[in-house]
Amino acid sequence: MYPIAALVVIAGSAFTTVKFQDWKIGEDYSIKFTSEDPSGVFKGLKGTVVFDDKNLAASKFDVTVDVASINTGNGMKNTHAKSAKWFDAEKYPTIKFTSSAITAEASGYVAKGTLEIHGVAKDFSMPFTFTQKDAGGVFNASFDINRMDFKINTEEPAHGAAVVKVDISVPVSKN
Amino acid sequence: MFRKVFFLGLTVGITTALAAYVYNRVYIFALEANFSKIVNTGSIIGVSFAVSMIIAVLYWFMKRWLKQKGEIVFNFTLVILSFAAIYLPVSISLPLDISNPELFMGLVVPMLFFPALGWHTLKPLFIRE
Repeated sequence: MYPIAALVVIAGSAFTTVKFQDWKIGEDYSIKFTSEDPSGVFKGLKGTVVFDDKNLAASKFDVTVDVASINTGNGMKNTHAKSAKWFDAEKYPTIKFTSSAITAEASGYVAKGTLEIHGVAKDFSMPFTFTQKDAGGVFNASFDINRMDFKINTEEPAHGAAVVKVDISVPVSKN
Repeated sequence: MFRKVFFLGLTVGITTALAAYVYNRVYIFALEANFSKIVNTGSIIGVSFAVSMIIAVLYWFMKRWLKQKGEIVFNFTLVILSFAAIYLPVSISLPLDISNPELFMGLVVPMLFFPALGWHTLKPLFIRE
């Protein structure tokens, strides 16, 4: 009897997989940036969000944002922002963040990884919180970005703010 | 004199509002642009009447103040102000939930000249020199 039970357990274990929590990005997300001038939003958020607060080692963000989706509320500023002088949306169509490690902090979590903007990839730590609600949740993040670090119009450091505050809110549902 | 100028201003207001309304509808239909939060029937009527009455008061004031030269100064002032008004749609930042703000100038800039066009078209019907 015992050998049969042991065989069943061993055979069953072959089909056992670790289930990671994969989240689907909701459509009503917002990516806002604010400064003295300019302020605006980005759209076109895509990618994979794997997050489990009980298994941070297996959690991972790999997301992109469409640069051409920038909206400052002013048509002329949008055109300038997408031009070669600023984001160069034609050459660098996406902003990419790929996490390498997620750790728990007192105020939430920190995703360490690589942020690529304007073709410049830099190590970046993104503090964020996650609030779970029923079958979904909301990721919130708030941080500063200096465009000079990503070589965006370095010729004119005083033309518009160099540092912008970024506020991200991403509602997610279980995949 | 003021009575004629007043009714001319009112008529220009009606004409401008009608032209702007039709242009707005055609623009929305042609480009599927939606700026109804800012440019809607209420704002079109309000701005058209306000601007037309300001033009009427300006005309009356300049004719009274500068006599013969008033007409020339008024015409130049009206054209210069109409062109200068282009700065408004160029510099304004729309609410961020409005997409394609690039199309906003194409909607608003032609409308800025409707009051001047209306004034010069209708003036001979009300005021004969």
